Amino acid sequence: MKVYLKSLILLLVTGSLISLSGCKNDDPEPENIPELVTKVTLKFTPAGGGAAVTVTATDPDGEGVQDIKVDGTINLIKGTQYTLSLELINGLYKVGDDGYNITAEVEEEGDEHQFFFRFSEGAFSSPTGMGNIKDNSSSTAGSINYLDKDVNNLPIGISTSWTSSGVATSDKSFRVVLKHQPDIKSSTSTSLDGESDLDISFVLNVN
Amino acid sequence: MGQVNCKLSVAGKVLDDLKGPLPGATVFIKEHNIGKVTDQNGVFVFSDLCEGEYSFEIKFLGYETRVINLTLRKSENIETILKTEDRLLTEVIVSDHREPVGKASNYGALSGKALEEVRGKSLGESLQNITGVNTIQSGPAIFKPVIHGVHSQRILILNNGVRQEGQQWGAEHAPEIDPFIAANLVVVKDAGAIKYGTDALGGVVILTPAELPTDQQLGGQLHIIGSSNGRSGVISGLLEGGLTNYKGWGWRLQGTAKKSGDMHTPDYNLSNTGFQELNYSASTGYHKGGKGFEVFYSHFNTIIGILKGSVVGSTEDLAIALEQEPPQNTQPFTYQIRSPRQEVQHDLIKLTSHIRKGDNLFNIQYALQINNRKEFDLRRGSLNEVPALGYKLFTHTVDAEWEKTKEKSHTRSLGLNGMAQDNNKIDGTQTLPFIPNFNNYTAGLFWIEKFSKNKWDWEMGARYDLRYYKIVGFDFKNQLYRSEFNFHNVSATAAGTLKINPTSSFTSSLGSAWRPPNVAELYSLGTHQSAAAIEYGLLLDEITNEVRSPDEVDFKAEQAIKWVNTYRVQKEKWSMEMTGYINYIFNYIYLKPRGVTENTRGIFPYFRYTQTDASFLGADLSLSYSVTKKLKLNSRISLLRAKDETNNDYLIFIPSNRYEVSMRYDTPNIQSWTNPFIEIRLKYVAKQNRAPRVVPIRDIIEAKEQGIDLFENDNRNFDFVDSPEGYFLASISLGISKPIQKSKLDVRISVENLTNTAYREYSNRMRYYADEIGRNLSIAMKYSF
Repeated sequence: MKVYLKSLILLLVTGSLISLSGCKNDDPEPENIPELVTKVTLKFTPAGGGAAVTVTATDPDGEGVQDIKVDGTINLIKGTQYTLSLELINGLYKVGDDGYNITAEVEEEGDEHQFFFRFSEGAFSSPTGMGNIKDNSSSTAGSINYLDKDVNNLPIGISTSWTSSGVATSDKSFRVVLKHQPDIKSSTSTSLDGESDLDISFVLNVN
Repeated sequence: MGQVNCKLSVAGKVLDDLKGPLPGATVFIKEHNIGKVTDQNGVFVFSDLCEGEYSFEIKFLGYETRVINLTLRKSENIETILKTEDRLLTEVIVSDHREPVGKASNYGALSGKALEEVRGKSLGESLQNITGVNTIQSGPAIFKPVIHGVHSQRILILNNGVRQEGQQWGAEHAPEIDPFIAANLVVVKDAGAIKYGTDALGGVVILTPAELPTDQQLGGQLHIIGSSNGRSGVISGLLEGGLTNYKGWGWRLQGTAKKSGDMHTPDYNLSNTGFQELNYSASTGYHKGGKGFEVFYSHFNTIIGILKGSVVGSTEDLAIALEQEPPQNTQPFTYQIRSPRQEVQHDLIKLTSHIRKGDNLFNIQYALQINNRKEFDLRRGSLNEVPALGYKLFTHTVDAEWEKTKEKSHTRSLGLNGMAQDNNKIDGTQTLPFIPNFNNYTAGLFWIEKFSKNKWDWEMGARYDLRYYKIVGFDFKNQLYRSEFNFHNVSATAAGTLKINPTSSFTSSLGSAWRPPNVAELYSLGTHQSAAAIEYGLLLDEITNEVRSPDEVDFKAEQAIKWVNTYRVQKEKWSMEMTGYINYIFNYIYLKPRGVTENTRGIFPYFRYTQTDASFLGADLSLSYSVTKKLKLNSRISLLRAKDETNNDYLIFIPSNRYEVSMRYDTPNIQSWTNPFIEIRLKYVAKQNRAPRVVPIRDIIEAKEQGIDLFENDNRNFDFVDSPEGYFLASISLGISKPIQKSKLDVRISVENLTNTAYREYSNRMRYYADEIGRNLSIAMKYSF
């Protein structure tokens, strides 16, 4: 009986000690969410000067049910050369915060990221074709005029060059995909490799 | 009259019908009311006995009880074989305080030789050898047990008498248990484990270690297992003994290490599917007379890789992954485990005590569990080594029970269970938490009566539970929300076994069970590892997705009624067990497709936790026929139909029907080598034809691009691909033993998937991306002393 009582006391004391140490009722710390992209801006700057064409896509609720809002149509002037620069923003941060500008992060991690593009045939005179987003493993990829390189001399795609078609055309599509390809990115990797960080489509007109 | 000699001893050995030792069997001398438990080698010793008449009662769960009458004049050695018993259930009253299964329940067990055959496998995979138990899998190393079609939070796992509490809400979260701890594995297929609390809608898995030794003899065993697929190795050891000067004290140390590299299918490597495990446990206790006290500590630690090719960031990625074989990013074999991966630790400290006073038995138990789960995904840059999901769960449980033996065959138990749980996110994941932080306080009381009358054994019970949740989490805008609410309910069971004649019996059990919604089902928010679908909890607003107060939302606890009937026949040459069951679950909580949304990563279908009424109707059959004394045929069939009754629809990931036959031949001993055997198994798993409709991922994307949401007005369940075709598997195993003085060596060689068949299993989530593993040769050695 003595052993029993002793053990019971030991059990209860240990139990209550551990219970007390395990509890904490403070508010949890909110997390920073650096990987969320809430706003994407595409800026087409004419090489010969003139007004840039800017379109944006905004995600109002991240993982929520609301669709992204695409602001504006890409209206390019025919036969013009443009430099397209991409900007990715996480609106949960303030301007100037580390996590605000995701483009900079992508650039830093350029050796594991690549932007891919797809567009309606005939919208551009350079590049020609439909871009380098593949449908499946057997389809072929076109080329894109990448203006930037990562440490391994492979393209990233934050900055690209485009020459619009000499013929006016409307209601075409323009799609941008950002792939995360850690240990995968190589001279032979394609849009089918890795994980999508971004996949977004716009309407394109050439006037 | 000469002086009576009171220095006699009786030593003995208990074997199963395959001549393997039975650890954990109880040997009871009725005249003296003293009991012993067999050690790892099936050995027991009684000393200081006087001359006289004794009857030794030898019992073990799942085996026929045997009584040996002995007139003791000198010290004796006895050896006895317990026959496997399908006919009638024996209770395990181990020395004085254990009794996991009632006489009147429907159950299946793995112990003795049958357990040896699955040594080295995970808990879920081992349990598949029990009729009516399947698994859902996420790749080759993550198995969750499924009892009669239900799993995860709907079944209860009792690890060494303690409710296992981990992050069981995830279908890819396997139980954090080292099955080497157990001397037997039991699955109770009835609903409502009245003694253990809520949630056991489908049944209970019970892992029981052997009793601690109470004599000073040192014993132990060592397992070494190597397998070709994954080039894996398992080493597990156990050492136990008593204390020379302290009679009644015993101790045990146990540990297991596992390491596996990438598994492979018949045609390609499964990159990043390796795993590692390092587990250990220690226990010590005192058992003497009617008193006992025990301390148990165990640590479980694993790292499991997730198939590289299953990494998808969007439906577009998923569409690509579904079409690729071998999966994308398939690389040569390696032991290295990279992201995505899971790292899980589980610690358990348990203190138990019992005392028997006359007809009364008191048990008290306290346990603390600390579960630590981290999931790593492929992330940008430095975040790659930061878990994308991380939770730490503390669980305290206190159980107290009073059992009174009223007459010879009538016992009554009353008891209390208490649980306090604290779940906290691991700070710094830099993701929106998938589930909130919470505190969960649960209290319950139960009452059970067991009695025998005429040809019937009865068991009846009822319990009442109260659960209180306190929640604090972050919504999709990363804003804090809080909530507090509670649930309470009553459940009851009644079960009876009729002994029709000495060779047959019939068991029927009717049980109700309930389960409050899990925190994950209420508040989930986000995308699962490799699922390409967004999940929303029951309390998230349908339109705005804001977290709502529980008072504003109409939701209920799950309530199940399960009726299980088993007919058993045990004849000289053959035996049969036939089970039919229906489990009707009201307010069944599941993920229902509700729409398609678009964010910057692309198009995603989203699912909301919804409630419906579901039914699980099935039958299990096992047959065994001894052609000769050496040749035995076995067959097992398990059939199941699961349905969403409200919507007249099928549920997803329900294991399909399966059929198995096996032939075992025990050959004569070869010189000093004993018990050689060869066993061949054939298994056929049918295609799951009762699967939800198929909506190809490309259709979802194309429709959405044209502004059509395929699920807006059609909420029927769906799957991205058709269920895989049925498959045949063959396996073979050979074994032999060699006694070396007092110790023994067992060697077993087995080949699974003998024909190297490429196939996919419907209940494995990996089926979207890759085939199952190909041929696997294993060599297992066990040395016991």
